[in-house]
Amino acid sequence: MSHCQPVRPRHWALATLAAAAACTLIAACGNSSAGSASSGGTVTVGESTTLSGSIAELGESGLQGVELAVADLNSHGGLLGKKIKVVSADDAATPATGAANAKNMILQDHVVALFGPVSSAVAAAEEQLAGQYKVPIFFHTSNDISLMGANFNPYAFQVVPNTDMEPRAAALYLDSEVKAGKIKTPLALGTFAPNYSFGQDSVAGFIQALKYYNVPFKIVSQQWPSLEATNISPNLSALIAAKPSVVYNAQFGGDLVTFVKQATPFGFFKKTTMLSMLNTAELAALGSQAPAGSIAYDRAPWFAMNEPGVTAFASEYHATYHQWPDTWAVLAYTSVQVWAYGVKHAGTFDAGKVSAAIAGAAIPTIRGTITIRACDHQAEIPEYVGTVASSPSSQTGFPLWTPGSAFAAPFSKIGLSCAQMKAMQK
Amino acid sequence: MHSLVLDIAGTLSAAANLFVVAAGLTLVFGAMRIINMAHGSFYMYGAFAVTTVLGVGAGWRFWLALLAGAVVAAVAGLTVEVTVIRRLYDAEHLTQLLATYAVLLIFADIGQRIWGTGYRTVNPPPVLASGISIAGGQVPRYQLFVIGVGAAVGLALWLMLARTRFGWLLRAAVQDPESVATGGTNLAWLRTGVFVIGAFLAGLGGALIAPMQSIAPGMDVSIIVSVFIVVTIGGLGSVAGAALGALLIGLAQTLGAEFFASWAASLIYLTMIVVLAIRPWGLLGVPER
Repeated sequence: MSHCQPVRPRHWALATLAAAAACTLIAACGNSSAGSASSGGTVTVGESTTLSGSIAELGESGLQGVELAVADLNSHGGLLGKKIKVVSADDAATPATGAANAKNMILQDHVVALFGPVSSAVAAAEEQLAGQYKVPIFFHTSNDISLMGANFNPYAFQVVPNTDMEPRAAALYLDSEVKAGKIKTPLALGTFAPNYSFGQDSVAGFIQALKYYNVPFKIVSQQWPSLEATNISPNLSALIAAKPSVVYNAQFGGDLVTFVKQATPFGFFKKTTMLSMLNTAELAALGSQAPAGSIAYDRAPWFAMNEPGVTAFASEYHATYHQWPDTWAVLAYTSVQVWAYGVKHAGTFDAGKVSAAIAGAAIPTIRGTITIRACDHQAEIPEYVGTVASSPSSQTGFPLWTPGSAFAAPFSKIGLSCAQMKAMQK
Repeated sequence: MHSLVLDIAGTLSAAANLFVVAAGLTLVFGAMRIINMAHGSFYMYGAFAVTTVLGVGAGWRFWLALLAGAVVAAVAGLTVEVTVIRRLYDAEHLTQLLATYAVLLIFADIGQRIWGTGYRTVNPPPVLASGISIAGGQVPRYQLFVIGVGAAVGLALWLMLARTRFGWLLRAAVQDPESVATGGTNLAWLRTGVFVIGAFLAGLGGALIAPMQSIAPGMDVSIIVSVFIVVTIGGLGSVAGAALGALLIGLAQTLGAEFFASWAASLIYLTMIVVLAIRPWGLLGVPER
């Protein structure tokens, strides 16, 4: 589905605006080129992501995270004495558009770092360019394992749990529920996923993970609604008719919200435990209709991470944007901190030196100290899983997770080893 | 038994919703020989208008929202007809297609300015929110409501075309526009009327699906693909054909989901290919003269 969307640069207004205005007046200072460490002036970073279409919300949320992180850096004097400016553009979830945006940002805006898209296909295209032009690129939403595997290059970093870790975390949590006697085996398993690579990979990964953790199951129905399906009733009817006890749902965003709304009148959630990526935005959209008892996995749920930095960030985000941060904002904010750490420690914006300073480092962030593994530049962060609560949280006014149900699936258990990743890298 | 009831309700509700939108598209084509890509925009505007009227509340405002969705689309349709379509009646099909596609893109951009880029969701009215037990299966009441609206729209269109002076003029205008014009009928306003009705139906379809779907930019393009398949199968210009086409697509979706889950999406296109191979002008269409 290709929308023709104009590229819309947006500039972070607060502190950076003042700096930019000052620059215009002096006229002499433009964007300093990478590597220059002299004081004063600005450097530019780019966020090309999906800002239109059905996954735009993920892109908007990530962009807001980046903008907030940059505003916070600027309010503390910027980096190496320079203020930071964010340029952004819409990739319409299309690799060619994303690559064109990234190229513009590199050649015209002279960005010193790129932050990254929603779609992994777009990310792969941008990763190649980043390697070619030697600009560090940070993926905070797109998480295909191949980005750090077959497509790995030394300037790319993955500050988000990858596609392999996610279903493993969900299966691990399910396994603990089975062992606690809350769910009966063999599972009568149904799967529901959009019919393209992300959906198919997620379902395959989940089934593999069930086998890996020895959870007995039997598949009773697999539904693959097409991406442009306007009405999922036929798929939903077929799924419900198969009477699954557990459904793995790889939808996200608005599609997942629709699924919950449509499935509820069938009495679906009374008989079936659903595992899905119900994040803050989806829970907020569902409100009192949230499916209590369903299992949710989330890459960075601010309310369940138990990190004072994240809690403070959530308050700041709420004060700025009048909504609670979705997982994408937390991850994006963290990715800017990872880059900033690299710049500070390298004492330069030079891509090679910044990348070298980040690889293998333990980096303090709002979510505590995270390590970027040297072998594949994957952040060693957990994936979170919990059970959707039946009553609203007093803080947000909509249900989050049942208190005490949050589980951080450790990287050591769900991540691939360096040897496995090295084998994927060419 | 359980499964059959669910399948039938699922099929019919999917078909009813497609039909309401497709009927508008096929009506406009039948009367004006224009393939209107912007029909998808009217559908999307109908759905987004519902989210605006409903906000976070539900209740009685749902019925107002449903009407508002259709009316917003009708007003958008009126604007498009008077400013763009009216100038294109004698143009090439390709020109018309490009112009209405341009309108679709412009509306998509305006829509993003008004409603933003994220998705929105609304709830069905409380009275239709739950399920109802039929033959041992629990069927959502809202599905039954959608089926009812589809049937009502079908009936209303049939009455309008067969029993009213407007319908009679409409059919005459397709056959012989000059005679209708010399008979004292303002052809331009007749066409505007049809176009507005088409847009109204698109908006109603969008408003109708709002509680069943997440409302997001991009739904304009996805619906236009689906309803094009429906009207092509049924025969461009035939309202009864649109109903038949919608039923076939609904059935293909259900059977596909039940028996060939990983092929469900292709089954729709396969249905279209088979129908067009046998009857290139569609099931109830007439060959172009």
